[in-house]
Amino acid sequence: MLLQQLSGNLTQGLILGAIYGMATMGLNLIFGVMKIVNVGHGAFIMLGTFVSFAIFTYLGLTPIVAIPLAFIVGFALGSLFFYFIIGKLTNAPELNSLLATFAIGMLIEEVTKFIFGSEWRGFTWDVGRVTLPFTVLPITKIYAFIISILVVIALYLWLRMTRSGTALRAVVEDKEGARVCGINVDRMYALSFSIGIGLTVMSGVILTFFISVGLNPYMGGAYTLRAFVIAVLGGLGSPLGAFFGGVIFGLVENGSYTLLSLIPGIEPFSLTRFVTFFILLIILLVRPTGLLGVK
Amino acid sequence: MIRGLLRFTLGRESEMLKVDNLESGYRPMQVLWGLNLEVKKGSITSLLGPNGAGKSTTLKTVFGSVLPWNGKILYEGMDITELPTHSKVEKGIVLVPEGRHLFPNMTVKENLIMGAYSEEAAKRQVESFELVYSLFPVLKERTKQRASSLSGGEQQMVAIGRALMVRPKIMMLDEPSQGLAPRLVIQVFEAIERMRGEIGLSVLFVEQNVETSLDISDYVYIMHEGSIKAEGTPKEIRALTDIREAYLGV
Repeated sequence: MLLQQLSGNLTQGLILGAIYGMATMGLNLIFGVMKIVNVGHGAFIMLGTFVSFAIFTYLGLTPIVAIPLAFIVGFALGSLFFYFIIGKLTNAPELNSLLATFAIGMLIEEVTKFIFGSEWRGFTWDVGRVTLPFTVLPITKIYAFIISILVVIALYLWLRMTRSGTALRAVVEDKEGARVCGINVDRMYALSFSIGIGLTVMSGVILTFFISVGLNPYMGGAYTLRAFVIAVLGGLGSPLGAFFGGVIFGLVENGSYTLLSLIPGIEPFSLTRFVTFFILLIILLVRPTGLLGVK
Repeated sequence: MIRGLLRFTLGRESEMLKVDNLESGYRPMQVLWGLNLEVKKGSITSLLGPNGAGKSTTLKTVFGSVLPWNGKILYEGMDITELPTHSKVEKGIVLVPEGRHLFPNMTVKENLIMGAYSEEAAKRQVESFELVYSLFPVLKERTKQRASSLSGGEQQMVAIGRALMVRPKIMMLDEPSQGLAPRLVIQVFEAIERMRGEIGLSVLFVEQNVETSLDISDYVYIMHEGSIKAEGTPKEIRALTDIREAYLGV
Protein backbone atom coordinates (compact mmCIF):
# COMPACT_ATOMS: atom_id res chain seq x y z
CA MET A 1 0.00 0.00 0.00
CA LEU A 2 2.74 2.42 1.00
CA LEU A 3 4.93 1.26 -1.86
CA GLN A 4 2.07 1.79 -4.26
CA GLN A 5 1.48 5.27 -2.91
CA LEU A 6 5.17 6.08 -3.04
CA SER A 7 5.63 4.90 -6.62
CA GLY A 8 2.51 6.78 -7.60
CA ASN A 9 3.83 9.97 -6.08
CA LEU A 10 7.27 9.44 -7.54
CA THR A 11 5.73 9.10 -11.00
CA GLN A 12 3.96 12.39 -10.48
CA GLY A 13 7.20 13.81 -9.14
CA LEU A 14 9.13 12.66 -12.19
CA ILE A 15 6.70 14.36 -14.53
CA LEU A 16 6.50 17.54 -12.47
CA GLY A 17 10.28 17.46 -12.12
CA ALA A 18 10.72 17.27 -15.88
CA ILE A 19 8.47 20.32 -16.20
CA TYR A 20 10.36 22.16 -13.45
CA GLY A 21 13.61 21.30 -15.16
CA MET A 22 12.36 22.47 -18.52
CA ALA A 23 11.09 25.64 -16.86
CA THR A 24 14.54 26.36 -15.42
CA MET A 25 16.56 25.88 -18.60
CA GLY A 26 15.77 29.39 -19.81
CA LEU A 27 16.96 30.90 -16.54
CA ASN A 28 20.18 28.94 -16.72
CA LEU A 29 20.78 29.73 -20.37
CA ILE A 30 20.52 33.45 -19.66
CA PHE A 31 22.70 33.18 -16.58
CA GLY A 32 25.27 31.04 -18.34
CA VAL A 33 25.73 33.45 -21.21
CA MET A 34 25.27 36.83 -19.58
CA LYS A 35 25.69 36.16 -15.86
CA ILE A 36 22.39 37.92 -15.36
CA VAL A 37 19.94 36.44 -12.86
CA ASN A 38 16.42 36.83 -14.14
CA VAL A 39 14.52 37.63 -10.95
CA GLY A 40 11.35 38.04 -12.98
CA HIS A 41 11.57 34.43 -14.15
CA GLY A 42 8.33 33.26 -12.51
CA ALA A 43 6.33 36.04 -14.14
CA PHE A 44 7.19 34.64 -17.56
CA ILE A 45 6.05 31.16 -16.47
CA MET A 46 2.81 32.74 -15.28
CA LEU A 47 2.48 34.48 -18.65
CA GLY A 48 2.74 31.08 -20.33
CA THR A 49 -0.03 29.62 -18.20
CA PHE A 50 -2.26 32.51 -19.28
CA VAL A 51 -1.38 31.98 -22.94
CA SER A 52 -2.53 28.39 -22.49
CA PHE A 53 -5.64 29.51 -20.59
CA ALA A 54 -6.58 32.07 -23.26
CA ILE A 55 -6.06 29.67 -26.15
CA PHE A 56 -8.22 27.03 -24.49
CA THR A 57 -10.93 29.19 -22.92
CA TYR A 58 -11.37 32.04 -25.40
CA LEU A 59 -10.40 30.39 -28.66
CA GLY A 60 -11.50 26.86 -27.80
CA LEU A 61 -8.32 25.40 -29.23
CA THR A 62 -6.21 22.65 -27.77
CA PRO A 63 -3.47 24.05 -25.49
CA ILE A 64 -0.94 22.19 -27.65
CA VAL A 65 -1.31 25.12 -30.05
CA ALA A 66 -0.22 27.39 -27.23
CA ILE A 67 3.22 25.78 -27.04
CA PRO A 68 4.75 27.23 -30.23
CA LEU A 69 2.74 30.41 -29.76
CA ALA A 70 4.11 30.90 -26.25
CA PHE A 71 7.64 30.39 -27.51
CA ILE A 72 7.11 33.04 -30.17
CA VAL A 73 5.54 35.46 -27.68
CA GLY A 74 8.39 34.85 -25.25
CA PHE A 75 11.05 35.19 -27.93
CA ALA A 76 9.54 38.48 -29.09
CA LEU A 77 9.22 39.84 -25.56
CA GLY A 78 12.75 38.69 -24.77
CA SER A 79 14.10 40.49 -27.84
CA LEU A 80 12.14 43.62 -26.95
CA PHE A 81 13.34 43.71 -23.34
CA PHE A 82 16.86 42.93 -24.46
CA TYR A 83 16.91 45.68 -27.03
CA PHE A 84 15.54 48.38 -24.77
CA ILE A 85 16.74 47.37 -21.30
CA ILE A 86 18.90 44.30 -20.69
CA GLY A 87 21.28 44.86 -23.59
CA LYS A 88 22.28 48.20 -22.09
CA LEU A 89 23.13 46.59 -18.76
CA THR A 90 25.53 43.86 -19.85
CA ASN A 91 28.53 45.76 -18.51
CA ALA A 92 26.73 47.38 -15.59
CA PRO A 93 27.01 46.16 -11.97
CA GLU A 94 24.87 43.12 -11.11
CA LEU A 95 22.44 45.09 -8.98
CA ASN A 96 21.28 47.00 -12.06
CA SER A 97 20.28 43.90 -13.97
CA LEU A 98 18.68 42.39 -10.85
CA LEU A 99 16.51 45.48 -10.45
CA ALA A 100 15.74 45.56 -14.16
CA THR A 101 14.57 41.94 -14.34
CA PHE A 102 12.61 42.43 -11.11
CA ALA A 103 10.88 45.43 -12.67
CA ILE A 104 10.21 43.54 -15.90
CA GLY A 105 8.63 40.74 -13.86
CA MET A 106 6.35 43.21 -12.08
CA LEU A 107 5.45 44.82 -15.37
CA ILE A 108 4.42 41.45 -16.81
CA GLU A 109 2.36 40.70 -13.68
CA GLU A 110 0.55 44.02 -13.71
CA VAL A 111 -0.21 43.90 -17.42
CA THR A 112 -1.57 40.37 -17.00
CA LYS A 113 -3.69 41.54 -14.09
CA PHE A 114 -4.93 44.44 -16.18
CA ILE A 115 -6.02 42.09 -18.96
CA PHE A 116 -7.24 39.04 -17.04
CA GLY A 117 -8.07 40.47 -13.61
CA SER A 118 -6.64 39.26 -10.33
CA GLU A 119 -9.05 36.42 -9.58
CA TRP A 120 -7.88 32.83 -9.78
CA ARG A 121 -8.38 31.22 -13.15
CA GLY A 122 -8.43 27.65 -14.29
CA PHE A 123 -9.64 25.33 -17.00
CA THR A 124 -10.24 21.63 -17.46
CA TRP A 125 -8.64 20.04 -20.45
CA ASP A 126 -9.57 16.39 -20.36
CA VAL A 127 -8.30 13.93 -22.94
CA GLY A 128 -8.67 10.82 -20.82
CA ARG A 129 -6.44 8.96 -18.40
CA VAL A 130 -4.17 5.97 -18.23
CA THR A 131 -4.42 3.49 -15.37
CA LEU A 132 -1.08 2.16 -14.22
CA PRO A 133 -0.85 -0.54 -11.53
CA PHE A 134 0.05 2.03 -8.90
CA THR A 135 -1.54 5.26 -10.08
CA VAL A 136 -3.89 6.90 -12.52
CA LEU A 137 -2.34 9.43 -14.87
CA PRO A 138 -4.26 11.98 -16.93
CA ILE A 139 -3.01 11.86 -20.50
CA THR A 140 -2.27 15.59 -20.43
CA LYS A 141 0.44 14.88 -17.83
CA ILE A 142 1.97 12.32 -20.16
CA TYR A 143 1.93 14.95 -22.90
CA ALA A 144 3.68 17.34 -20.54
CA PHE A 145 6.38 14.80 -19.80
CA ILE A 146 7.00 13.89 -23.43
CA ILE A 147 7.04 17.49 -24.60
CA SER A 148 9.43 18.52 -21.83
CA ILE A 149 11.83 15.76 -22.83
CA LEU A 150 11.56 16.75 -26.50
CA VAL A 151 12.31 20.37 -25.68
CA VAL A 152 15.39 19.34 -23.70
CA ILE A 153 16.61 17.20 -26.58
CA ALA A 154 15.98 20.00 -29.04
CA LEU A 155 17.91 22.49 -26.91
CA TYR A 156 20.73 20.01 -26.46
CA LEU A 157 20.97 19.35 -30.20
CA TRP A 158 20.86 23.05 -30.95
CA LEU A 159 23.72 23.74 -28.55
CA ARG A 160 25.79 20.82 -29.85
CA MET A 161 25.10 20.64 -33.55
CA THR A 162 24.47 24.13 -34.90
CA ARG A 163 26.80 26.99 -35.59
CA SER A 164 24.88 29.44 -33.41
CA GLY A 165 24.54 26.89 -30.62
CA THR A 166 28.25 26.18 -30.63
CA ALA A 167 28.98 29.89 -30.59
CA LEU A 168 26.69 30.25 -27.60
CA ARG A 169 28.54 27.49 -25.73
CA ALA A 170 31.80 29.24 -26.52
CA VAL A 171 30.46 32.45 -24.97
CA VAL A 172 29.42 30.49 -21.87
CA GLU A 173 32.89 28.97 -21.58
CA ASP A 174 34.90 32.12 -22.20
CA LYS A 175 33.52 35.40 -23.42
CA GLU A 176 36.90 36.89 -24.36
CA GLY A 177 37.89 33.67 -26.11
CA ALA A 178 34.67 33.79 -28.11
CA ARG A 179 35.41 37.38 -29.10
CA VAL A 180 38.86 36.53 -30.49
CA CYS A 181 37.27 33.77 -32.58
CA GLY A 182 35.14 36.39 -34.31
CA ILE A 183 31.90 35.58 -32.53
CA ASN A 184 29.55 38.52 -32.19
CA VAL A 185 29.15 38.30 -28.43
CA ASP A 186 26.44 40.96 -28.23
CA ARG A 187 24.32 39.04 -30.70
CA MET A 188 24.78 35.89 -28.64
CA TYR A 189 23.56 37.83 -25.60
CA ALA A 190 20.43 38.86 -27.46
CA LEU A 191 19.88 35.35 -28.76
CA SER A 192 20.28 33.69 -25.37
CA PHE A 193 17.94 36.17 -23.70
CA SER A 194 15.26 35.78 -26.37
CA ILE A 195 15.49 31.99 -26.45
CA GLY A 196 15.68 31.85 -22.65
CA ILE A 197 12.50 33.89 -22.25
CA GLY A 198 10.86 31.93 -25.08
CA LEU A 199 11.59 28.64 -23.30
CA THR A 200 10.33 30.04 -20.00
CA VAL A 201 7.00 31.27 -21.36
CA MET A 202 6.61 27.96 -23.17
CA SER A 203 7.23 26.07 -19.94
CA GLY A 204 4.24 27.89 -18.44
CA VAL A 205 2.02 26.31 -21.09
CA ILE A 206 3.42 22.87 -20.32
CA LEU A 207 2.86 23.51 -16.62
CA THR A 208 -0.87 23.89 -17.29
CA PHE A 209 -0.87 20.35 -18.72
CA PHE A 210 0.00 19.21 -15.22
CA ILE A 211 -2.00 21.66 -13.18
CA SER A 212 -4.47 23.94 -14.90
CA VAL A 213 -6.14 25.60 -11.93
CA GLY A 214 -5.06 28.33 -9.54
CA LEU A 215 -3.70 30.52 -12.32
CA ASN A 216 -3.29 34.12 -11.24
CA PRO A 217 -0.96 37.00 -12.07
CA TYR A 218 1.07 36.58 -8.88
CA MET A 219 1.62 32.84 -9.01
CA GLY A 220 5.14 33.21 -10.43
CA GLY A 221 6.99 33.86 -7.17
CA ALA A 222 6.88 30.24 -6.02
CA TYR A 223 8.26 29.15 -9.37
CA THR A 224 11.06 31.71 -9.28
CA LEU A 225 12.14 30.30 -5.93
CA ARG A 226 11.99 26.71 -7.20
CA ALA A 227 13.89 27.65 -10.33
CA PHE A 228 16.69 29.20 -8.26
CA VAL A 229 17.01 26.06 -6.16
CA ILE A 230 16.93 23.86 -9.27
CA ALA A 231 19.46 26.03 -11.09
CA VAL A 232 21.91 25.81 -8.21
CA LEU A 233 21.23 22.11 -7.80
CA GLY A 234 21.83 21.34 -11.45
CA GLY A 235 24.77 23.70 -11.85
CA LEU A 236 24.45 27.40 -12.59
CA GLY A 237 24.77 28.16 -16.26
CA SER A 238 24.17 24.63 -17.50
CA PRO A 239 20.79 24.23 -19.24
CA LEU A 240 21.07 20.46 -19.21
CA GLY A 241 22.03 20.49 -15.54
CA ALA A 242 18.89 22.51 -14.87
CA PHE A 243 16.80 19.74 -16.36
CA PHE A 244 18.34 17.02 -14.18
CA GLY A 245 18.17 19.33 -11.18
CA GLY A 246 14.47 19.76 -11.89
CA VAL A 247 13.86 16.02 -12.07
CA ILE A 248 15.62 15.47 -8.74
CA PHE A 249 13.71 18.35 -7.21
CA GLY A 250 10.38 16.94 -8.39
CA LEU A 251 11.18 13.44 -7.14
CA VAL A 252 12.34 14.65 -3.74
CA GLU A 253 9.41 17.02 -3.32
CA ASN A 254 6.83 14.35 -4.10
CA GLY A 255 8.61 11.36 -2.58
CA SER A 256 9.23 13.10 0.70
CA TYR A 257 5.57 14.10 0.84
CA THR A 258 4.50 10.46 0.91
CA LEU A 259 7.04 9.53 3.53
CA LEU A 260 6.42 12.57 5.70
CA SER A 261 2.69 11.96 5.73
CA LEU A 262 3.37 8.71 7.59
CA ILE A 263 4.61 10.61 10.61
CA PRO A 264 1.65 11.49 12.80
CA GLY A 265 1.14 15.01 13.99
CA ILE A 266 3.06 16.89 11.33
CA GLU A 267 1.93 18.81 8.30
CA PRO A 268 3.75 17.01 5.43
CA PHE A 269 3.38 19.64 2.73
CA SER A 270 5.24 22.42 4.49
CA LEU A 271 7.99 20.01 5.49
CA THR A 272 8.68 18.93 1.90
CA ARG A 273 10.30 22.31 1.36
CA PHE A 274 12.59 21.67 4.30
CA VAL A 275 13.57 18.30 2.85
CA THR A 276 14.26 19.68 -0.63
CA PHE A 277 16.48 22.43 0.74
CA PHE A 278 18.22 19.87 2.94
CA ILE A 279 18.99 17.71 -0.11
CA LEU A 280 20.20 20.80 -1.92
CA LEU A 281 22.60 21.51 0.96
CA ILE A 282 23.96 17.99 0.86
CA ILE A 283 24.48 18.03 -2.91
CA LEU A 284 26.24 21.38 -2.66
CA LEU A 285 28.49 20.06 0.09
CA VAL A 286 29.56 17.20 -2.16
CA ARG A 287 29.59 19.16 -5.42
CA PRO A 288 29.77 22.91 -4.81
CA THR A 289 29.22 23.65 -8.49
CA GLY A 290 25.99 21.65 -8.70
CA LEU A 291 25.43 18.46 -10.65
CA LEU A 292 26.61 19.53 -14.10
CA GLY A 293 28.05 22.89 -13.18
CA VAL A 294 31.45 24.06 -14.23
CA LYS A 295 33.55 26.53 -12.36
CA MET B 1 52.41 67.62 -52.94
CA ILE B 2 53.41 64.95 -55.44
CA ARG B 3 56.01 63.62 -53.05
CA GLY B 4 53.39 63.56 -50.34
CA LEU B 5 51.03 61.62 -52.54
CA LEU B 6 53.78 59.24 -53.52
CA ARG B 7 54.70 58.66 -49.93
CA PHE B 8 51.04 58.09 -49.12
CA THR B 9 50.63 55.41 -51.77
CA LEU B 10 53.91 53.72 -51.00
CA GLY B 11 53.14 53.91 -47.32
CA ARG B 12 49.85 52.18 -47.91
CA GLU B 13 51.62 49.48 -49.78
CA SER B 14 53.77 48.31 -46.91
CA GLU B 15 51.68 49.23 -43.91
CA MET B 16 49.58 46.52 -42.32
CA LEU B 17 48.52 48.49 -39.32
CA LYS B 18 48.84 52.11 -38.39
CA VAL B 19 47.74 53.55 -35.09
CA ASP B 20 47.41 57.29 -35.03
CA ASN B 21 47.18 59.37 -31.86
CA LEU B 22 45.17 56.70 -30.08
CA GLU B 23 43.52 57.40 -26.73
CA SER B 24 41.56 54.91 -24.67
CA GLY B 25 41.16 53.41 -21.21
CA TYR B 26 38.65 52.18 -18.70
CA ARG B 27 36.39 55.08 -17.83
CA PRO B 28 37.09 57.25 -15.96
CA MET B 29 40.74 56.18 -16.10
CA GLN B 30 42.60 57.05 -19.28
CA VAL B 31 45.42 54.65 -20.15
CA LEU B 32 46.56 55.54 -23.66
CA TRP B 33 47.55 59.16 -24.29
CA GLY B 34 48.06 59.69 -27.99
CA LEU B 35 49.79 56.51 -29.06
CA ASN B 36 51.36 56.14 -32.51
CA LEU B 37 52.70 52.97 -34.02
CA GLU B 38 52.98 51.06 -37.27
CA VAL B 39 53.30 47.44 -38.24
CA LYS B 40 54.79 46.78 -41.66
CA LYS B 41 53.50 43.93 -43.77
CA GLY B 42 55.17 40.64 -42.91
CA SER B 43 57.15 42.13 -40.05
CA ILE B 44 57.45 41.17 -36.42
CA THR B 45 56.94 44.22 -34.29
CA SER B 46 57.17 44.23 -30.53
CA LEU B 47 55.83 46.58 -27.92
CA LEU B 48 57.91 46.58 -24.77
CA GLY B 49 57.76 48.49 -21.54
CA PRO B 50 57.24 48.21 -17.81
CA ASN B 51 54.12 46.90 -16.11
CA GLY B 52 51.19 49.27 -16.39
CA ALA B 53 52.57 51.08 -19.41
CA GLY B 54 49.38 50.33 -21.35
CA LYS B 55 50.74 47.62 -23.64
CA SER B 56 47.81 45.24 -23.18
CA THR B 57 45.37 48.13 -23.46
CA THR B 58 46.97 49.06 -26.78
CA LEU B 59 46.32 45.59 -28.21
CA LYS B 60 42.81 45.45 -26.77
CA THR B 61 41.97 48.84 -28.21
CA VAL B 62 43.29 47.93 -31.65
CA PHE B 63 41.27 44.70 -31.46
CA GLY B 64 38.20 46.52 -30.19
CA SER B 65 37.52 44.78 -26.89
CA VAL B 66 38.39 48.15 -25.33
CA LEU B 67 36.76 51.02 -27.17
CA PRO B 68 38.94 53.82 -28.56
CA TRP B 69 38.17 57.31 -27.23
CA ASN B 70 40.09 59.23 -29.80
CA GLY B 71 42.48 58.75 -32.68
CA LYS B 72 42.50 56.43 -35.66
CA ILE B 73 43.33 52.82 -36.39
CA LEU B 74 44.12 52.03 -40.01
CA TYR B 75 44.37 48.51 -41.37
CA GLU B 76 45.71 48.14 -44.91
CA GLY B 77 44.84 51.80 -45.34
CA MET B 78 41.25 51.27 -44.24
CA ASP B 79 39.81 53.08 -41.22
CA ILE B 80 38.75 50.36 -38.77
CA THR B 81 38.60 52.49 -35.62
CA GLU B 82 34.90 51.96 -35.05
CA LEU B 83 34.56 48.37 -36.26
CA PRO B 84 33.29 45.76 -33.79
CA THR B 85 35.65 42.90 -32.93
CA HIS B 86 33.88 40.26 -35.01
CA SER B 87 34.21 42.37 -38.16
CA LYS B 88 37.90 42.89 -37.44
CA VAL B 89 38.36 39.13 -37.11
CA GLU B 90 36.63 38.65 -40.48
CA LYS B 91 39.04 41.14 -42.01
CA GLY B 92 42.02 39.19 -40.70
CA ILE B 93 42.96 40.83 -37.40
CA VAL B 94 43.28 38.47 -34.48
CA LEU B 95 44.36 38.70 -30.87
CA VAL B 96 45.89 36.00 -28.70
CA PRO B 97 44.79 37.41 -25.38
CA GLU B 98 46.74 37.45 -22.15
CA GLY B 99 45.76 34.41 -20.11
CA ARG B 100 44.88 32.55 -23.34
CA HIS B 101 41.11 32.45 -22.78
CA LEU B 102 40.64 28.96 -24.16
CA PHE B 103 37.32 27.13 -23.82
CA PRO B 104 38.25 24.94 -20.85
CA ASN B 105 35.65 22.19 -21.29
CA MET B 106 36.07 21.85 -25.02
CA THR B 107 38.70 19.57 -26.49
CA VAL B 108 41.77 20.87 -28.28
CA LYS B 109 40.10 20.11 -31.60
CA GLU B 110 36.87 21.88 -30.63
CA ASN B 111 38.88 24.90 -29.51
CA LEU B 112 40.64 25.02 -32.85
CA ILE B 113 37.35 24.63 -34.73
CA MET B 114 35.97 27.64 -32.88
CA GLY B 115 38.84 29.65 -34.35
CA ALA B 116 37.48 28.85 -37.81
CA TYR B 117 34.10 30.31 -36.86
CA SER B 118 33.82 32.91 -39.61
CA GLU B 119 32.49 31.57 -42.90
CA GLU B 120 35.67 32.32 -44.82
CA ALA B 121 37.81 30.58 -42.21
CA ALA B 122 35.43 27.61 -42.04
CA LYS B 123 35.99 26.92 -45.74
CA ARG B 124 39.73 26.64 -45.18
CA GLN B 125 39.45 24.60 -42.00
CA VAL B 126 41.18 21.43 -43.25
CA GLU B 127 44.15 23.36 -44.58
CA SER B 128 44.31 25.38 -41.35
CA PHE B 129 44.42 22.25 -39.23
CA GLU B 130 47.45 21.05 -41.20
CA LEU B 131 49.16 24.38 -40.68
CA VAL B 132 48.53 24.34 -36.93
CA TYR B 133 49.63 20.73 -36.51
CA SER B 134 52.80 21.35 -38.53
CA LEU B 135 53.65 24.28 -36.27
CA PHE B 136 52.75 22.44 -33.07
CA PRO B 137 53.00 18.67 -33.68
CA VAL B 138 52.32 17.97 -30.00
CA LEU B 139 48.75 19.24 -30.38
CA LYS B 140 47.99 16.44 -32.80
CA GLU B 141 48.42 13.96 -29.96
CA ARG B 142 46.17 16.04 -27.73
CA THR B 143 43.20 16.61 -30.06
CA LYS B 144 40.68 14.82 -27.87
CA GLN B 145 41.95 16.21 -24.57
CA ARG B 146 40.13 18.99 -22.76
CA ALA B 147 41.92 22.31 -23.02
CA SER B 148 41.91 22.69 -19.22
CA SER B 149 43.92 19.47 -18.84
CA LEU B 150 46.87 20.76 -20.88
CA SER B 151 50.10 22.22 -19.57
CA GLY B 152 50.64 25.97 -19.77
CA GLY B 153 52.86 25.66 -22.82
CA GLU B 154 50.39 23.47 -24.66
CA GLN B 155 47.58 25.85 -23.78
CA GLN B 156 49.55 28.71 -25.30
CA MET B 157 50.03 26.62 -28.45
CA VAL B 158 46.28 26.02 -28.63
CA ALA B 159 45.66 29.74 -28.17
CA ILE B 160 48.04 30.60 -31.01
CA GLY B 161 46.66 27.70 -33.07
CA ARG B 162 43.10 28.87 -32.54
CA ALA B 163 44.10 32.35 -33.68
CA LEU B 164 45.74 30.85 -36.80
CA MET B 165 42.51 29.02 -37.66
CA VAL B 166 41.01 32.49 -38.18
CA ARG B 167 43.39 32.84 -41.18
CA PRO B 168 44.62 36.21 -40.01
CA LYS B 169 46.82 38.68 -41.83
CA ILE B 170 47.99 40.21 -38.58
CA MET B 171 48.25 38.47 -35.24
CA MET B 172 48.58 40.37 -32.00
CA LEU B 173 49.89 38.43 -29.02
CA ASP B 174 49.59 39.65 -25.45
CA GLU B 175 52.51 38.32 -23.42
CA PRO B 176 52.82 34.96 -25.17
CA SER B 177 55.68 33.83 -22.92
CA GLN B 178 53.91 34.57 -19.65
CA GLY B 179 54.17 31.75 -17.15
CA LEU B 180 56.13 29.47 -19.47
CA ALA B 181 59.36 27.59 -18.79
CA PRO B 182 62.36 28.98 -20.76
CA ARG B 183 62.39 26.01 -23.15
CA LEU B 184 58.74 26.64 -24.02
CA VAL B 185 59.31 30.37 -24.38
CA ILE B 186 61.80 29.58 -27.13
CA GLN B 187 59.28 27.25 -28.79
CA VAL B 188 56.59 29.93 -28.80
CA PHE B 189 58.94 32.54 -30.26
CA GLU B 190 60.11 30.06 -32.88
CA ALA B 191 56.50 29.48 -33.83
CA ILE B 192 56.01 33.24 -34.26
CA GLU B 193 59.01 33.39 -36.59
CA ARG B 194 57.79 30.39 -38.57
CA MET B 195 54.32 31.87 -38.99
CA ARG B 196 55.86 34.99 -40.45
CA GLY B 197 58.13 32.94 -42.68
CA GLU B 198 55.60 30.37 -43.87
CA ILE B 199 52.42 32.37 -44.36
CA GLY B 200 53.76 35.91 -44.32
CA LEU B 201 51.88 36.80 -41.19
CA SER B 202 52.43 40.23 -39.68
CA VAL B 203 52.92 40.07 -35.94
CA LEU B 204 52.55 42.64 -33.19
CA PHE B 205 53.32 41.40 -29.73
CA VAL B 206 53.63 42.68 -26.21
CA GLU B 207 56.28 41.23 -23.91
CA GLN B 208 58.04 41.47 -20.58
CA ASN B 209 60.72 39.14 -21.88
CA VAL B 210 62.95 41.85 -23.36
CA GLU B 211 66.01 39.95 -24.57
CA THR B 212 64.16 37.27 -26.53
CA SER B 213 61.80 39.88 -27.95
CA LEU B 214 64.70 41.96 -29.26
CA ASP B 215 66.14 38.81 -30.83
CA ILE B 216 63.16 38.08 -33.04
CA SER B 217 61.73 41.55 -33.72
CA ASP B 218 62.20 43.60 -36.86
CA TYR B 219 61.07 46.75 -35.12
CA VAL B 220 60.56 47.67 -31.49
CA TYR B 221 58.47 50.25 -29.68
CA ILE B 222 59.16 51.20 -26.08
CA MET B 223 56.09 52.27 -24.22
CA HIS B 224 55.66 54.06 -20.93
CA GLU B 225 52.66 55.73 -19.27
CA GLY B 226 50.39 55.36 -22.24
CA SER B 227 52.55 56.55 -25.10
CA ILE B 228 55.60 55.56 -27.14
CA LYS B 229 58.87 56.77 -25.65
CA ALA B 230 61.30 55.28 -28.16
CA GLU B 231 61.31 53.17 -31.28
CA GLY B 232 63.74 51.58 -33.67
CA THR B 233 65.27 48.37 -34.90
CA PRO B 234 66.49 46.01 -32.17
CA LYS B 235 70.04 47.14 -32.92
CA GLU B 236 69.11 50.79 -32.42
CA ILE B 237 67.25 49.99 -29.21
CA ARG B 238 70.18 48.04 -27.83
CA ALA B 239 72.35 51.06 -28.44
CA LEU B 240 70.07 53.37 -26.48
CA THR B 241 71.52 52.51 -23.10
CA ASP B 242 69.65 55.16 -21.12
CA ILE B 243 66.27 54.21 -22.60
CA ARG B 244 66.89 50.54 -21.98
CA GLU B 245 67.83 51.17 -18.38
CA ALA B 246 64.95 53.55 -17.76
CA TYR B 247 62.11 51.54 -19.31
CA LEU B 248 63.24 47.98 -19.73
CA GLY B 249 65.57 47.47 -16.78
CA VAL B 250 68.21 45.73 -18.89
